[in-house]
Amino acid sequence: MLRLRSSSRSDARLWSWIGAAVIGVSALLYGSLASGEPRTNAERAHSLANQFACPVCDGQSVAQSDVSVARIIRREIRTWVDEGRTTDYIRSQLVADFGEDIDYTPSASGITSLVWILPVVAGAGAVTGLFFVFRRWKLEADLEPTEEDVALVESARADRS
Amino acid sequence: MSNSSLGAAAVALGVAASITGLVVVAMSLTNRRGNWKREIQWLVGAMAFAAVAAVVVMERALITRDFTVAYVAENGSSTTPALFNFATLWAALEGSILLWTMILTGFVVAVVVKFRDQHDDPMVGWALFTLFVVTTFFFMLMMGPANPFGTFDPSPGFDGPGPNPLLQNHVLMAFHPPVLYLGYVGFTVPFAFAISALITGRVGEGWLVATRRWTVMAWGFLTLGIVLGAWWSYETLGWGGYWAWDPVENASFLPWLTGTAFIHSVMVQERRGMLRVWNLSLVVATFSLTILGTFITRSGILNSVHAFVESGIGPWILTFFGLIVVVSLGLIAWRGDQLRSPGRIDSPVSREGAFLANNVLFAAFAFVVLLGTIFPLFVEAVDGRTISVGNPYFDRMTMPIGFSLLFLMAVAPVLPWRKASPGVMSQRLIGPAWFAAAVVVFSVLVGARGWAPLLAFGLGGFAAGASARQLILATRRQGWRGLVGRTNGGMIVHIGVILIAVAFAASNAYVRQDEFNLVPGQTATMSGHELTYEGSTVIEYSNRTERVARIRIDGGQVYEPAVATYPFAGQSINIPSVRSTAVDDIALSVLSFPEGDDDAVLLRSTIQPLIVWLWIGGIVIAIGTAMAVTPGTRRRPTEPVSAPLETLA
Amino acid sequence: MTAPTDASAPRARIAIWIVLPLAVTMVLFLVLLATREPSSHRVTQSRLIGGIGPSIVGETIDGGTFDLDGERGRWVVVNFFSTTCVPCIVEHPELVKFQNAHSEAGDATVVSIAFDDSAEHVREFFQEYGGGWPVLAEGTGTFAVSYGVAQVPESYLIAPSGLVVDKLFGGIVQDDLESRITALQEAAANRSDSDTDSETEGS
Repeated sequence: MLRLRSSSRSDARLWSWIGAAVIGVSALLYGSLASGEPRTNAERAHSLANQFACPVCDGQSVAQSDVSVARIIRREIRTWVDEGRTTDYIRSQLVADFGEDIDYTPSASGITSLVWILPVVAGAGAVTGLFFVFRRWKLEADLEPTEEDVALVESARADRS
Repeated sequence: MSNSSLGAAAVALGVAASITGLVVVAMSLTNRRGNWKREIQWLVGAMAFAAVAAVVVMERALITRDFTVAYVAENGSSTTPALFNFATLWAALEGSILLWTMILTGFVVAVVVKFRDQHDDPMVGWALFTLFVVTTFFFMLMMGPANPFGTFDPSPGFDGPGPNPLLQNHVLMAFHPPVLYLGYVGFTVPFAFAISALITGRVGEGWLVATRRWTVMAWGFLTLGIVLGAWWSYETLGWGGYWAWDPVENASFLPWLTGTAFIHSVMVQERRGMLRVWNLSLVVATFSLTILGTFITRSGILNSVHAFVESGIGPWILTFFGLIVVVSLGLIAWRGDQLRSPGRIDSPVSREGAFLANNVLFAAFAFVVLLGTIFPLFVEAVDGRTISVGNPYFDRMTMPIGFSLLFLMAVAPVLPWRKASPGVMSQRLIGPAWFAAAVVVFSVLVGARGWAPLLAFGLGGFAAGASARQLILATRRQGWRGLVGRTNGGMIVHIGVILIAVAFAASNAYVRQDEFNLVPGQTATMSGHELTYEGSTVIEYSNRTERVARIRIDGGQVYEPAVATYPFAGQSINIPSVRSTAVDDIALSVLSFPEGDDDAVLLRSTIQPLIVWLWIGGIVIAIGTAMAVTPGTRRRPTEPVSAPLETLA
Repeated sequence: MTAPTDASAPRARIAIWIVLPLAVTMVLFLVLLATREPSSHRVTQSRLIGGIGPSIVGETIDGGTFDLDGERGRWVVVNFFSTTCVPCIVEHPELVKFQNAHSEAGDATVVSIAFDDSAEHVREFFQEYGGGWPVLAEGTGTFAVSYGVAQVPESYLIAPSGLVVDKLFGGIVQDDLESRITALQEAAANRSDSDTDSETEGS
């Protein structure tokens, strides 16, 4: 009786988890896929202006700064956006006009690609290192084989011969 | 006696007291016969007196507008309002070092008072020695390259330019730097004890227990300082932003990341005796990063809107940074192998496993931020090219780390130590999971779109649910005491962090900005809000002239963004005006005023949701930190298990 | 609390192997930081030099039209300025002197391009300070962007061939401008002497 109740409770919890997951994930999918209001040109221009450094400012983007050159570039970006230019076009124009350091996104080729690669390599290295540490701990923990282990090894040996 | 010579005398006294203190502590450590407690207390007192006296003299010079002090002549002005005149102490490089030194000596006094009964303990002795090295460095800076008391010979009728206009138009300027420094400098104490633990070989949990509250307090001040800085940026810079991944912002964020990693991993060491070397390294890294941060802020090698004027102080700070790194690495290499504990983590799915994951993520976060910040220097050195690394890089690289951290914030607090069972986890997390689902559904219903912000809201809800569950259980068990103590206070801090994360995601994803040319009486519509320009007025102040635009928002209250012209500095700055509600913020700033009153004004308007929750989150973190350092009624902390190395080996 | 003695032997090596690469990295890092110049000392060269100047076509403030391509055959000083910038006001008489010195021969001219300014202010500026050369004030942002102008005053020297030959930051001084032009002319003459096959384009 007690056993039955506890298993039905855990069944209920499983269903509850499934319910939460289905509702949460479908809302997430709907919100990701359903098109919201289309991005206006102003929004696109603002998001672009944030991706470029103001050439004469100290660490402010074109969108942030109020100096003349930032305003001129903002207007120019807006003009390009209204003309329907692609982001790549705008990026290459600005880099050609003001130099590579206007672009806040380091290019993914040549030496600058290191800034993208190094964190990924370091992260992968850390995860691999931890994996091996955990495995060694696990191996150290179970040094004595159980009877099941022995039987498993025996049957494997029997198969090979 | 003039303020200059009084100040110089105070600095000289500080140098003398620190160096003497250094020598006396070294003697007491090498020669155990004498009892130097009295002398050390006197020296620390003299040092603190010197620092306070120097600050008082500087404030007196500022308030009386004594332009014979070069610092006052360069940064003060007879027209600066009283509050900002007082804050001019930290508006430029030399004064900021003075403030730093005073806070540092305050911490040394606190250490001497706190550990007054353990002066014979080499652990305290070496920590004091380290602290004296640091104070000596800062006092020496004020003797040489950052001398705040240089003299100036003003001509009759001379008046200074006053601090940078951006530093005197918001009251937060009076609070942000001192609070931030309390955080930066506060990490000196755990650093000193970590070095002491390495030197004495008493690498157990003793030093951790001794400095636990200091670390949490320093962390709290640093967090509050960063949030106040973001708030100041938002209220004064007029671009509707609060965080720009600027080198100086990153410099303050780096020690925060390693410090946050430390206050989590410390619990693994206290509970399981593991991660000793790692914890020592994190403390050392945090302190080194504060020094690296002062180098970046004060050397001018990286462009930043927050940087001080370029000065000759750079090589000195860099040398000190090198010294810290060399000594710390040397000590860790020497002691590292003896420090390692034999313990192991049984299962990755356990509280200690989660803390480990947390640390890997924070370390990765710090690595990404540091790499992005200094990478332009690296490319320039190797290739001669000048490049920039900015927000697209940081946003893209830190987003997955942020998501993972939010997920851990949900799961980790309900994980048991050693090993978790699926049943227990399922039972504890089902509530938070439903809350997360509800948050996502609600967000979609109110119109939020895009996977990234929705995922952030969902994970935020999950984590908030888990934190709230812990707090509810604790208060049910212990009443109001369920809110104090490290664990419960920590959960409050988590809620504050989640608020900031959600507000950050929302404001970044849904920011709207546009510029309008408006003639008086004209109305612009933006994201469902109406902005009506009603004309402008000119107001004269003692130190500036403001031209104020009156903008009525949604037919309701009038907001007044302005352009202030400081004649002496020859500089005009924007003074934005912000309408805040719990749902969204409208930040207005005037880009240019027309000549005639009837012509069009160029207005920039930035609309972002949930901004106000960033500041609320900061306040919640501050409250949570205060709760966390308040002793709770939970079981007594385990006795220090520190033991000399001989017994370990 | 006692560490297993058998483990201490392999352990002894680990710390040094972790610390050593870290130490090397930190030394490199320190060298990197110590050898960097302050950012304010960095100057970037214009990539326009040596190429044909981007086109400038537009209506001048007195109603005429200006086309940079139509100026081939004489030196052009493309001057970006703004009425609120103090160095621009300072350099203006020098530009007037330069223009006056060459107006008779017609071998050089100035063209001024307003940078983030209103046509009205520009007109007032020229009424006050003089200068009878083409001035463009409307829709000039595109030109500023295509020349990569970051801060005014900034001027480009364009050879009679249409090539951009020099970029001048900050205020112009007439004597300096003249000597630059003379030096460039001499260099071009020398080049054509030593290399008689090549077509002597320009001066």
